Amino acid sequence: MNTELNFKDILDLDDVKGVLVLSSEGQVLFRDIPAPGFARVDLASRDWTPFLEALEGIREADFIYDNCRVYVRESAGGYILVLMGHFAPIAMVRLNCDIVLPSLKQAHASKGLARFFKRKK
Amino acid sequence: MIKNVLIVDDDQEMLLSVKEGLEKYDETFSVIIAGDGEVAVDKLRADPVSLVVTDLKMPRMNGFTLLAHIMERYPDIPVIIITAYSTPEMEKQARLGGAVGYIEKPFMIEDLARKIVAALRQESEGGTLHGISSGTFLQLIEMEQKTCTIRVMDRNSEKQGVLFFRKGELMDARVNGVSGIEAAYAIFSWDEVNLSIQNSCQKEEKKIDGDLQGILLEAMRLKDEASAEVEQVEAVEMAEPEAAPEPLAETPTATVRKRLEEELGQRSGVDDIYEDSSWNNLLRQVEETGALLDAGRLRVGYVDRRAGTDLILLPGSPAPTVVSVNPRGPKDRILQILINEELSS
Repeated sequence: MNTELNFKDILDLDDVKGVLVLSSEGQVLFRDIPAPGFARVDLASRDWTPFLEALEGIREADFIYDNCRVYVRESAGGYILVLMGHFAPIAMVRLNCDIVLPSLKQAHASKGLARFFKRKK
Repeated sequence: MIKNVLIVDDDQEMLLSVKEGLEKYDETFSVIIAGDGEVAVDKLRADPVSLVVTDLKMPRMNGFTLLAHIMERYPDIPVIIITAYSTPEMEKQARLGGAVGYIEKPFMIEDLARKIVAALRQESEGGTLHGISSGTFLQLIEMEQKTCTIRVMDRNSEKQGVLFFRKGELMDARVNGVSGIEAAYAIFSWDEVNLSIQNSCQKEEKKIDGDLQGILLEAMRLKDEASAEVEQVEAVEMAEPEAAPEPLAETPTATVRKRLEEELGQRSGVDDIYEDSSWNNLLRQVEETGALLDAGRLRVGYVDRRAGTDLILLPGSPAPTVVSVNPRGPKDRILQILINEELSS
């Protein structure tokens, strides 16, 4: 699976700044955030575990800040975070996430033996 | 989504051999059979049918009458005619009547199967979506002024319905033999659906008035009302005298309720408004994430927990204000109102 291609439609939407895919263990599986950085720090180095624990049981969420908006969507074995400005077409972002989810599920399912073992922390 | 093909013929032997011959295509479609046109009309009313294959010469109701009935009541359902007594005039009449295919008996079962599969493919030519909430998607159809036929399947009950759109306007709907606005309310009350999109609409007459948003809200209200009636019956024996309602204080909760009622009226889709400190941890995590992103202050959040209602969270101390909304409600509009009014501060 080419993850970049999967998220191209989302990243091409107006005012969408980036996409971050987190595994349920807190690893950053995919990141496309414009350099020099929409974010202040390297998001891969953050411990995402408390954030993911707080999201437990949540299928979809949308958080609106003063300067941007973060759409969160549960995926097979993790979460997709879409970072966007206030003018992004949120309905299109939701729809494109609906479309991309089955291919992520397939990708997770086709990792061979890796799917049976948890990564050592 | 299961596609049902209705085969209509008064020749029982023929009917059963066609059914048996098509069994190898059971991953693509299922076969329902009817012994004449009248039985076929009943089947069309009772079951979701994607395509009809009919003989022409039958007692009680012949194939031409059935074709006319389908074109009038179910113009989205393609019809293939099979006949043993074919003439060029008959074929012309069938095509003019709306048939998409015409096959002379005897025929190879593979030829019939090929025509069925080709016609069924058009049902989903515009794509399919699985496990989504229909409200968001249908609002996009309206927004983009699409002309299409959308077949919807409720993942819980496996009921199937059809929605007809012309230039973004909802023309008609059909489910379980019911059509018009009642069918639209029934379809819009489904929480999680699979959709297939056909890029055309055979319905020309508009049988549903009103805008899509209003219809979605009314469907939601009717659904809530039905659930509330059930709950009320269950609670009658347990009921205790109610305390007098507290006077409305200008708490964050009261302010939010007042503002939403002013903007959206009674049909706001808001179920309840309350304070709940159990969301403090999530909001703290979301605020920390926002700090990393240089996002500024968290103003409002929306959460879908796969429960009967979704939640809008307004940060506040000591507990956030929680607005519980129906998933089919205008949540984006509510979010916008709450952001604009700076009610969270």
